[in-house]
Amino acid sequence: MQKIEIFRIDSLSRAPLVVHGYLFKGSNPKAPSIAVVGAMEGNSILPLYCASSLVDFLNNKIDKERIEGDILIIPSINHYALNIGERYWPLDKTNLNMMFPGYGLGETTQRIAQKLFDAISHYNYGISLETRVDQAHCIPHIKLLKSGYEDIESAQKFGFKIIHHKDLESTDTVSLQYNWQLWGAKAYSIVCPSEQQVDTAFSNQILQAMLRFMGKTEIIDYKLFHGYQSNILQKESIEIIKSPRSGIFIPYQKPGHYVSNGQAIGEVVNALEGNVVHKVTAPCDGMITCMFSNSLILENAVAFRIAKIG
Amino acid sequence: MTTTEIFTSELPVGERFAIQRTRFEPQKAGSKKIKRISIVSGIHGDELEGQLVIYLLAKWLKENSDKIRGIIDIYPAVNSLGVDTITRGFPLYEVDLNRVFPGGENEFLPGQVVHALSHDVKGSDIAIDIHSSNIFLREIPQIRINKEFSPTTLPLAKELNCDFIWIHDAVTVLEATFSHTMNSLGTNTLVVEMGVGMRLTKEYGTQLLNGILNLMQKEGIIESDEQFENREPFTSEIGDVFYLNAPCSGLFVASIDHCAVIKKGDKIGDIVDPLTGSILAELFAPNKGILFTLREYPVVYEGSLIARIFGENDAEN
Repeated sequence: MQKIEIFRIDSLSRAPLVVHGYLFKGSNPKAPSIAVVGAMEGNSILPLYCASSLVDFLNNKIDKERIEGDILIIPSINHYALNIGERYWPLDKTNLNMMFPGYGLGETTQRIAQKLFDAISHYNYGISLETRVDQAHCIPHIKLLKSGYEDIESAQKFGFKIIHHKDLESTDTVSLQYNWQLWGAKAYSIVCPSEQQVDTAFSNQILQAMLRFMGKTEIIDYKLFHGYQSNILQKESIEIIKSPRSGIFIPYQKPGHYVSNGQAIGEVVNALEGNVVHKVTAPCDGMITCMFSNSLILENAVAFRIAKIG
Repeated sequence: MTTTEIFTSELPVGERFAIQRTRFEPQKAGSKKIKRISIVSGIHGDELEGQLVIYLLAKWLKENSDKIRGIIDIYPAVNSLGVDTITRGFPLYEVDLNRVFPGGENEFLPGQVVHALSHDVKGSDIAIDIHSSNIFLREIPQIRINKEFSPTTLPLAKELNCDFIWIHDAVTVLEATFSHTMNSLGTNTLVVEMGVGMRLTKEYGTQLLNGILNLMQKEGIIESDEQFENREPFTSEIGDVFYLNAPCSGLFVASIDHCAVIKKGDKIGDIVDPLTGSILAELFAPNKGILFTLREYPVVYEGSLIARIFGENDAEN
């Protein structure tokens, strides 16, 4: 394993931001290569942990000969945000994942994006570990942008239950995944739950999915049990359940749970008087993919998203 | 004058979030179709210059209600939670509202908010979206126009008594803005940038008020004997915008005033290190022209924008 410096930025008063990547050189020059990018935001605890766990696995838990293709892992881009509990770039609050492919003569975060992209754009496969932008917990899944370059077949190799095949929005065109695809890589976002404490059930699932993918693409000689035959979800497959009242949100069910039409799945309680002001019921049969992540819910906020079945 | 809530959401603990609009209409209803203009500010909660402009406009309209010939809608604080809490994005979600347009009824709450705004403004003949740059940069009063819509918006921009009109190329990510959404829906929409975040610049407020009144007079939305000032702006069509970014991190100390006419090689400022008393970099103008953007917040990282200079296309530049 080589620890390589990806970029360095000085600061007026803080220690320099030095971002490293961990490069595992493959034994087979013909094998495909992969780059994995971890936390780009300060709330990306699982992306950070899953990326660093992958470094540990490749460094300590697998014979070096079984690493066939080059693997580069960059666990964190944004130490400055992680270390002070900020979500985005701490000075100007810009989102690094809206700065790609970057610009070497531009603003600070454009320069960071460019330096990162220069280091990873030539890999055959790319994984961006992310969390949702909105206030929601979700089950781990693949987000694959409809860029025209996406490869849905290879995305199945992770074995996640769900692939969200997402309509392209204008802001997606400056994301890492989109630009990676544009530069010729097969790129995927793994959307991680956004809890601020590590849930090892989720982190294991994500780590195994990355290893399963690397095994199936012959980047490593390592075979895990098969995962799920992924369901491909489009916007139309998802039922949105908004809360018509504000208050304290008490979910009865969690992401990943199957629910039936009419089943009570949560309630909203008056925050000052304690009475239930709204019962949330499932409008269809399906599986909860996401739920509002804050216990204080606003009127009209999306309380649950359910992938419809049946 | 009627004030309406165009979007509301009960907050979890004993409070209500609302976006408010005040409408001014002619005293006597006529039969002919009248024009409608919408003035929007506070999409970014840390930008307050628009609050002053809209206050001055509302005051003028109240005092001159007999001169109103069209519909004037004002929306001073779209991100009202952000305006009151020095928060640029939509609180809780940390989302830039000007990157989630057009939104939708079934989207997350910020998406619902912008959907409600664009739905309400839709049908206006003209919309003006007033911004104050951000807390980092100070801007002279200027209009930003997407080249795609410039045939219809540039003539309107020239009536707004601003100093500079910047016509920029279409950028895909900017399709998620209020102005792109409204222009696409048929409302001629102009973006004003002036002043600096978290502050008011009184002379700019008065300058833009005159521009809005002048535009409304020309469009027949008000009818007044008063002549409103309208200065001749310079436009980016005749030259280029040059950027000056920090070559290193440190504390930026400016050497010149904002909105200065400068020569190539004039000193813009220094980047210094207080800990060692050293100058890390001296910054000079890369071209001659007018400096229309200047760094206001002194802490800089490598790449932070220091200045923008507009210069005409001549041999020296």
